[in-house]
Amino acid sequence: MTLSKKVVLLGHFGVGKTSLFRRFVDNEFSEEYKVTLGVQIKKKVVALPDGRELSMIMWDTEGHSDSVEDTRKSYLLGSHAFIYVFDITREETYKHLNQDLEYLTKNYAKVITKVIGNKLDLVKEKDVVAHLKEENIPFDCLTSAKTNKNVQDFFSELAVAITQ
Amino acid sequence: MEEQDKLKLLKELLLTEEKEFADSIAQKVEELNKIVHQKQELSYKVDPIIDDKLEEFVEEIPKTLGPTITQTLKEEIKNSQDAVVEALFPIIGKMIKKYIAHEMRLLSENISRQTKKAFSFKNWFRRTKARAQGVSEGDLALSDYAKPRLIQMFVVEKHSGILITDYSPMSEGTIDKEMVAGMLTAIKSFVEDAFEGGDQNLELIEYELYTIHIQNFYSYYIAAVISGAYSMMFKEVLEDQLLEFAQRHISNRDLENSALFTKKLKKYFADDIV
Repeated sequence: MTLSKKVVLLGHFGVGKTSLFRRFVDNEFSEEYKVTLGVQIKKKVVALPDGRELSMIMWDTEGHSDSVEDTRKSYLLGSHAFIYVFDITREETYKHLNQDLEYLTKNYAKVITKVIGNKLDLVKEKDVVAHLKEENIPFDCLTSAKTNKNVQDFFSELAVAITQ
Repeated sequence: MEEQDKLKLLKELLLTEEKEFADSIAQKVEELNKIVHQKQELSYKVDPIIDDKLEEFVEEIPKTLGPTITQTLKEEIKNSQDAVVEALFPIIGKMIKKYIAHEMRLLSENISRQTKKAFSFKNWFRRTKARAQGVSEGDLALSDYAKPRLIQMFVVEKHSGILITDYSPMSEGTIDKEMVAGMLTAIKSFVEDAFEGGDQNLELIEYELYTIHIQNFYSYYIAAVISGAYSMMFKEVLEDQLLEFAQRHISNRDLENSALFTKKLKKYFADDIV
């Protein structure tokens, strides 16, 4: 049987979690915004550099309005990776990022957590990087689900990280 | 005036009215005779024409009146749907009932025929049982059809929803089992969270003709998809079998080795759960 890992997407409402999820799994994008209720699950089989195959079971959770602590805890249990997504054009979506990361590290110490700043197609990358550094906002990758910029690379790297 | 003339005169005087009456009757008889005779003659001439016209009229009805009648009927049905349903319901109901009874009889006869043909211990046993119970073999075979059957079994890691292994005694389905395992876990998590059941677990999901029996263990759960009548007796037997399987046959090593787990699962549940 293929190696399987559970990956959960977290973040505020409307940051583009579902768009990233659909872009990665189905290579599709839609401008239409539909709020995710509860959770939706999809699978993507990724070929690892060592020849093995990894089934990434992606859990796209409904966005929280304030803190990641609002996310249903049972959805987070047993995860192998968290992807925390924020919208680089909306400050309120990364205002509490450091506290949220602290909460995740404290309660899910064994789970790999990666941070993505999404909607790169709306702003200049240089300006965003400078602004985030200035605000002391950590991130692993800046992506655009719309243009597919950095999406596939990010998930490929994550696949390797969670199987090591 | 002679005697004879006198008598004639007297007759005329006395019987004038009667004579007039007799003449009028004779005239009426003559007229009636004429009418009857004329009608007969007319009928010979007119009847073929009427017959042709009638035939033509009947042939023309679908063309001339058809669309109007259809339109009127459509409108009437549309405007009084309730009345139409009300009127048709008992008729359709009777038809369906009759059809089902007919089909069931055919099925029962078919099964009886099949069971007569086939010679096996199982059939011999069923025949003996049917005789002992005083029921037909067909009826007994029909009750066998409602027997609960294991369709598929998923062994899923409790919190992550990762599929450890699965087993289907029937043909392989087209559904993605890993996605099913994930969704089952999400549903379980949602229900257990939403109703704040503490340590309580979701144990049963029913949909139409299927039941998903969920049995929870410490680090994993088993979801068994069952078709047919899921009775309390069957539930108890299934629970016991799953418990025994987990206790006697499964170790922590098996949870990390899905191939070994699959092998054990297939071996243990190869026969029907009764």
